[in-house]
Parts: sequence; C-alpha cells; structure tokens
Amino acid sequence: MALIEATARQRGMASCHSCHLLCRLPSEEREGRFSCPRCGAALHSRKKNSLTRCWALLIAASILLIPANLLPITITSALGHTQADTIISGVIYFIHSGMWPIALVIFVASVFVPVVKLSILALLMFSVQRHWQWRPKDRTRLYRLTELVGRWSMVDVYVVTILVALVKLGAVATIDAGFGAVFFAGVVVLTMFAAESFDPRLIWDAMEEANE
Amino acid sequence: MNDSNINHLPPEAFSQAEVRTKQGFSIVWLIPLIALAIGGWLAFKAITEHGPLISIHFTTAEGLEAGKTKIKYKDVVIGEVEEIKLSEKLDGVIVLARMDKDTKPYLTEETRFWVVRARISAGEVSGLGTLLSGAYIGMDPIQEGKPTRSFTGLAKQPLVTADEPGQHYLLRSPSLGSLNIASPVFYRQIKVGEVVDYDFDQTGQAVEIKVFIHAPHDKRINSATKFWNASGVDVKMDARGIKVDTQSIVSIFQGGIAFDTPSTLDAITKVSDSFKFPLHPDREAATKKSYAIKNYYMMYFDQSVRGLVPGAPVEFGGIQIGEVVDFKLIIDTASLKVRIPVLVMIEPERLELYSNGKKVDYQSAIEERAKGNKRLIQEELLKHGMRAQLKTGNLLTGQLYIEIGLFPDAEPVEVAYENDYPIFPTVSTPLGKIAEDISKVVKKIDSIPIEELGEDLHETIVTLRATLQEFRGRRETSIRRFYPT
Repeated sequence: MALIEATARQRGMASCHSCHLLCRLPSEEREGRFSCPRCGAALHSRKKNSLTRCWALLIAASILLIPANLLPITITSALGHTQADTIISGVIYFIHSGMWPIALVIFVASVFVPVVKLSILALLMFSVQRHWQWRPKDRTRLYRLTELVGRWSMVDVYVVTILVALVKLGAVATIDAGFGAVFFAGVVVLTMFAAESFDPRLIWDAMEEANE
Repeated sequence: MNDSNINHLPPEAFSQAEVRTKQGFSIVWLIPLIALAIGGWLAFKAITEHGPLISIHFTTAEGLEAGKTKIKYKDVVIGEVEEIKLSEKLDGVIVLARMDKDTKPYLTEETRFWVVRARISAGEVSGLGTLLSGAYIGMDPIQEGKPTRSFTGLAKQPLVTADEPGQHYLLRSPSLGSLNIASPVFYRQIKVGEVVDYDFDQTGQAVEIKVFIHAPHDKRINSATKFWNASGVDVKMDARGIKVDTQSIVSIFQGGIAFDTPSTLDAITKVSDSFKFPLHPDREAATKKSYAIKNYYMMYFDQSVRGLVPGAPVEFGGIQIGEVVDFKLIIDTASLKVRIPVLVMIEPERLELYSNGKKVDYQSAIEERAKGNKRLIQEELLKHGMRAQLKTGNLLTGQLYIEIGLFPDAEPVEVAYENDYPIFPTVSTPLGKIAEDISKVVKKIDSIPIEELGEDLHETIVTLRATLQEFRGRRETSIRRFYPT
C-alpha cells in the first residue's frame, strides 16, 4: 500500500502544544485564533506569526550587527598601554602577526557565520513568502544548518568573558569587555530566536499548494 | 488503531477547537524597534561627538603611532592620532588627529602641542609613565587667538603651560653663564620658578633671560627686587671663618637664579612686563646699589700713571663716584709728546642733586636744564673749574686714584669731545706734592724710636729671665721637702 502523504493541516486539524490533543479546527475560520478544548492552550497549525516574528528578529539582529562590528569588543591594557579592539581590528592584527589560522577562526565565527546566518534566514523567508518551489529539501537543510550553527557563534562572547575573568593582573594587564561584545551577543541571541521562530513546514506548504 | 484508521475517521470524531478573538499588533516588532533605537542613538552619538580633525606638524614621528597615540590634557584623553604621514617637503611629519568636540574653542593659534616622552635631567624626572605606555601628545589649550586646524608641534614640552598661575619676568645679563632652559629660580633657597627662554637682546650686546615665577611667589617681585646668578658655589673666607653660599646641589650642576626683595629706602612700585631686571653676578653684587646712568669721560694725563689700574676709584670730595675703565699710551711721532688718555666712568646718580633746597632726580634735572636751554650740569661745573687730578691712594703700594675737585683759579675751558667722549680737563699733580707726601711718611717712620724700643725690650727680657730662674729654684726646694730622697 502506497503511503498517503497527509498532514494534519490538510485535514483541518492541529495538535495541542501542551497536552498534545489532536483537535479539529473549524473549517470556515482557518485563520482565527483557536484554543485547546481540553487544556485551553492556544492551538496553531503552524508556528504562530512565524514570518512576522522571524522578520522582526532578523531586522533587529541586522541593526545590532553594525555596532557589534564598529564598537570595541575587548579593551586590553597591558603595562599602562590601553588598546581597544573591534572584531575586525583583531582579525587584522592576527593577519599582520602571521597567525592565519586564528584570524580565520575569528573571522568565520564572528563575521562570516552571523552574516551568512542572517542571509540564509532572509532567503528562506523570502522564498516562503513568494511560494517558491525551488529545491525544498535543500532549503530545509539550510535551515537545519542555521539552527545547528546558531549557538556556536557565541564562541566570541565566551572567549571574551573567559579572558575578562582570567586576565586581571592589576596594573600589569587587564582585559575588559567592550560594548561591542554586548551587541554581538545580542546579534547571536536574536538570530537564534529568529531561526527558532521560523517554521520549516512553511517550505513544504508551498509545495502542497502547488499540488492542489 | 493504525494510521489508516485515523484517516478514515470522519472529522467530526475529533474534538472541535474553540475560537478566540484575534490579536492585533504583534509585540515581536518591539524588538527591531528597540534595536533601531539603540542603533540610531549610537549613530547620533557618533555623529554629534565627532570632533574636529586637526593636523600637527612635528619634526619626527618617534614614538607616535596612528590609531593608538592619544592626545592628553592633564592626563585626560581628548583626542587620538588617526594618521601619520610625511610632509610634502619631507621636512617633518604631519600628524592627523581626531579631537573631542569639546576641545573646539581651544583649537586656536596660541594652542601648543608637543610629544611627551620620558625626560630625565639634573633638575627633574618626568614622563616616566610613557616608558610603559608609549609617548602621547600633550596639549596646552589657549582660548585666545584665531581658531585654526593646523598646528606646529613643539620640539620640547613647554615648562610653563597656560593653566599655571604665575608671571614672566625678563632679566638682562652680559652673558648666559651656566644657565639653561629649566634652570631653577630660588627664593630663600626654595624653588619658585624656572628659566623658560633666553635670547640676545635687540643689539646683541646682552642676553635676555625669561623666567617664570609661579604664583603666589610672583607677588614678591617689585622694583626693588634683585636677581643674581646662583650657579656654582660662593666660598668666602674672612675673620669669622669660611662661608659657603649656594642655593642647591641642582643649581651647582644646572645653574640657577636667586632673587630677594630687600627692604629699601626707595619707593616700591609694581613692575611692568617690559621691565628688565639686571642679573647680578652674585649675591654681593646684587645687594650693592646699582646705578642706571653711567657717563664716560676722557682724561689726558701727561705724567706717569704708574699705580693706576682699571677699577681704581674716581672720587669727589672723598666719596667714590666712578671708576677708571681703561687707559693707554699715545706718542706723537712728530712732536714726540707723550699723552696718556684715561677713560673713566662716572655714575652721576651717586651725587644727590638739590635745587633750591629740594632734592631732584638726575634725569629730571637734565631735562629741566635742557628745557631752559642751559648747559648740562657737568659742563657748567667744568666751566667753573672742576678738574681731575691723580692722587696717591696708598703710599706703600703706590696705588693711584683720581680725585675730582674744584679749582676756582683754573682757566675756564669749553668741553671738547673725542671719540664721542667728552674730555675732562685735568690738572697735573706737582711732583713735589708726591715727594712731600712720601717725605712725610719717611719722617714718621724716622721718628719711631727704634733703638730705644730695642733697649727697652732687651731690659725686659733680662729681668724676665732672672725671675724665671728664681721661680724654678723655689719649685725644686718645695719638691724636695715633700718627697725627700
């Protein structure tokens, strides 16, 4: 027997998020707001306001990305010499000192990944809004990648925090976190939330619509 | 139940969801709004706090680094070097620096910039912090003057910045001596100022030394103040022992100036900026009265001036009013006449001038007479028989001095000039006068009864010897009495 490709949504049904009761949604009011008759929790056939939320968080993250890169992320004072470093100036410093691998790690973790993540999310949402039918499987993979990589962009913030805690040698050398670190953490958190708010099922919904 | 069973169930078999009213605006949009607000605020701050970009010309960029070197005032960072490039003529470097926007009113022509590096001299150690932190650019902000954005950096840190209260004074000295910039100025052996600059005066005949006296010590300076060179050690030996006068060890190595404001009979006035104090060679010279007006005269003597030395006094009525400056010997090849011109310096202020019972100032007396188309006092006096005469000051050493006196019988002369010096007429001292003086001394020495004195001395010694012998004999008998052998 051939497997039937059927979704709850097609049947006008949704599962409750808290008690997992499978509920029927009133067919005439598919766009309304529903709640579970058993436990009273809100019912959604797809993540609620997925696109709106995702866009909002994405825009916020993109705005914060600017101060995160322009403001110093670490303020190092060694032997009375104070130096403020932004992410890019750190990368440039490592390149100049010939430490390519470290420069590459910092660049990938702090510049490349956040920017690519933002671009992927933007692309995914754009494709969903436009009901694209282009390679849904690959797009889902992209989404999984952004979700997976999300928390690892925090590496910078962890490094800065650990350095601040470790290097406190009084007048000889201290490292302080600059405001850039706060904004960078904000970018990472917001992109993680954005990835979380995106509902990958929306990619497949577009395929179903096309089949109908 | 399996999947197919569920699929075959009618929808009515499942529980029906309840319907609730729809929510309006999604609260999630607050997040980008907040982000926008933060970003906008940062951008606003960056734009409004964007200070002016200035360029400073330095001879060298030693220790300066683009993006790192700060500009500081009172150790507060007020700017940062953004770029360093060579000047077009390659005669230095142009440092482009971004200043805080609050510094705008202070970026005027008068404002000075310099590089602070570690500096160690005999007097002080400064900028040690820069050994660790690297050099920075110091700033002396001054609000006066035209606003500008390009500056020429100083080679050295100025000793005195505008914010330091105090006063500049000018000293005049024939030579700089061991003084240098930053040499200390002492008041009662406490450092109250320093030398900030020196240069030749307009004529090149003297050195003008600019000193800065810190407040409140500048109040101690008035027209009666005497400055003297306190470099080195003054050792004086007299009947009371050795006296060493020095200001501090630093002044021995580095040179220094001391000043004092003695109590004086003269009226004390505040000094103006252009007033130039004389710098005396030592404390003793400073405490002597000094006279501003020095008149030079030429005197011709046709007799021997043996015993006359430069510095020999010129007296009038027994009071020194000047000194001999120079002399030489001139022989006229035609007439074989020998003449000795002597240049003397007379300080007329040493004479107190009275007019109708009222004391008058020398300068105003001259002006007064000039107004009335009268001759100068000296010319008048010369006409009335004022003459100079060589006199013996010390018979034993034969030192001479010049005595000025009035000879009413002398023929009146007109004042002649030679080499811009007025010629002071002289009267020759008759040789007999000197001989007479000497014979007087000889007579006095003669009249000392040397022989009698010798005899008296001899007698005294003989008597003394007898007395002593007698005393010794007595002593021996008394010893024998107490310690019989």
